[in-house]
Amino acid sequence: MNQKLVNILLVEDDEVDVMNVKRAFSKNNIMNPLFVAGNGIEALEMLENQIIPLPKIIILDINMPKMNGIEFLKIMREKEKLKNISVFVMTTSNEDTDKINAYNLNVAGYILKPLSFEKFLTSVATLKNFWQLCEM
Amino acid sequence: MGNFSILLVEDRVTIIENIKGFFSENETRPTLYSATNTIDAWSMLEGFSKLNPIPKILLIDVNRTKEEGILLLNTIRNHPDLKSILVFVITDAAQETNKAAVLKLNIAGYIPTSFQSQELYYCFSVLNDYWNMIEF
Repeated sequence: MNQKLVNILLVEDDEVDVMNVKRAFSKNNIMNPLFVAGNGIEALEMLENQIIPLPKIIILDINMPKMNGIEFLKIMREKEKLKNISVFVMTTSNEDTDKINAYNLNVAGYILKPLSFEKFLTSVATLKNFWQLCEM
Repeated sequence: MGNFSILLVEDRVTIIENIKGFFSENETRPTLYSATNTIDAWSMLEGFSKLNPIPKILLIDVNRTKEEGILLLNTIRNHPDLKSILVFVITDAAQETNKAAVLKLNIAGYIPTSFQSQELYYCFSVLNDYWNMIEF
């Protein structure tokens, strides 16, 4: 992943969480272009209308207004152009139904947002190592 | 993340032993099952040797198993009870056609490695950290 610096789309409604992801990326020297959508509808508009370059990775929150993460995933997986994008759920939802629904829609991982920023940094570092291991 | 099991589809004994060796040295020890071909793997997923519970993770080299491996992954993706399995392709043979085919199946990771013990150890260290971070 490092060589090509693939685009990443963060779908997240909470501005503090968006800021935390940006800070964690910066502290982990993740230089990939990061685009942000505030909910599922906004993300679909950005992807379908090519407002942003097609990302290889989506980091997806579950609980969002207008269209939640699972609804977004269902629609995304039905669209030829979007269905193969790697999706990593990052959420506070510990509900089994959300985990089951997400894995049935073939997310690459379901990550619970850690409560402290230090632990969040560690999670992002783990993700970075995993992304660097994989070809996309 | 708790206990989880892995099904490894691999026909090289030394690689199976190396992977078993890696987990025997680690605190988190997932249950590792291995199948030497896709027929045995399917039997362990849905046949006479069906594993209970179903493994959360499947590791396969589609460049060794070729069409049968891709067929197995397609069948898994279309099976209601198996479609949520996290699939990781680990391979030392970069065949772009197979890579393109499996990336369309929403695998969790396509990982090139030389299978040399040091590189394999690093690969599984990263994967182990990732598996311990995600929820199932």
